[in-house]
Amino acid sequence: MGDFFHWLTNSALANALNNYEWAFPIIQSLHFIGFALSIGTIAIVDFRLLGLGMRRQQASELAADLNRWTCAGIAIMLITGPLMFSTDAYAYHVNPSFQFKMVVLMIALLFHFTLHRRAVRPDASPVAAKLAGAMSLLLWTTVVFSGRFIAFI
Amino acid sequence: MPDPAIVEWIYNTDLSVAIREGGLPYPIIGGIHLLSIAWFGGMLLATDLRLLGWAMRSRPVSDVVGQFAPWKRVGFVVAVVTGVLLAWCEPIRLYRSPSFWIKMALFALVGVHALVFRNSVYRDPSKLDAGINTQAKVAAVLSLLLWAGLIVTGRFIAFDESFDS
Repeated sequence: MGDFFHWLTNSALANALNNYEWAFPIIQSLHFIGFALSIGTIAIVDFRLLGLGMRRQQASELAADLNRWTCAGIAIMLITGPLMFSTDAYAYHVNPSFQFKMVVLMIALLFHFTLHRRAVRPDASPVAAKLAGAMSLLLWTTVVFSGRFIAFI
Repeated sequence: MPDPAIVEWIYNTDLSVAIREGGLPYPIIGGIHLLSIAWFGGMLLATDLRLLGWAMRSRPVSDVVGQFAPWKRVGFVVAVVTGVLLAWCEPIRLYRSPSFWIKMALFALVGVHALVFRNSVYRDPSKLDAGINTQAKVAAVLSLLLWAGLIVTGRFIAFDESFDS
């Protein structure tokens, strides 16, 4: 597996990104815009599930209205993230914050497209809705924080 | 050219030293800053995309703009406070960073944007329910561009001293 990460870091794509000094901050900026789009729109639904705002709409209505944008944000995240990873794959894959982030990200994505989706439905119980909202906020907050810690731990 | 006295003064304050040398505070403040970008950004995107007619079209404009406004304000304040703290711990580097000054110029434009469009677009969004006028669309596009610009310049602050110039 280590060979793969060394190969990736030395690939033509990673070399291009590493040789052009503006590439990394631009890709990272797109990553930020992508997670604002996804995590931000998911948070809007979560706050509604918790009854904290946007009360003139049902959570199901907000989720349906924003779903396209949430998915667009997730797509941007999942393209720009691996691009950044490729620039220093070996170092990232042994970084504890990165490993932790990947695990939580998988759980957050799974949760979002299964239990969260179910809790958003109008016929879901209020308790399930609140739990799903809180869980979703917690998971995505952890993803953001562990992302920040990659540069530090 | 020596750095101005105020930059040196900030650098030597207890708060600056504490964030700079404290280990955990810096990434934690950075994490809150990122989270506020995500949450505030989500509200801002939803508002602006609604004004452009690209999202939440089945909801009245006034519902969307009005409901997101208080959250946007909170997110904005959190982003600014954590941003000031992040800047406070490394004022000398930022003072010498072109990206930092471009970001501050964009911030000034955010203020101009608010002054220009507040009355006409954001204060009474119910008048947009019948139809979104050009002015509201221009406000939304400029708002999205400014927001993206703040993210890009913010990211470049971390890199521009390493560029060959």
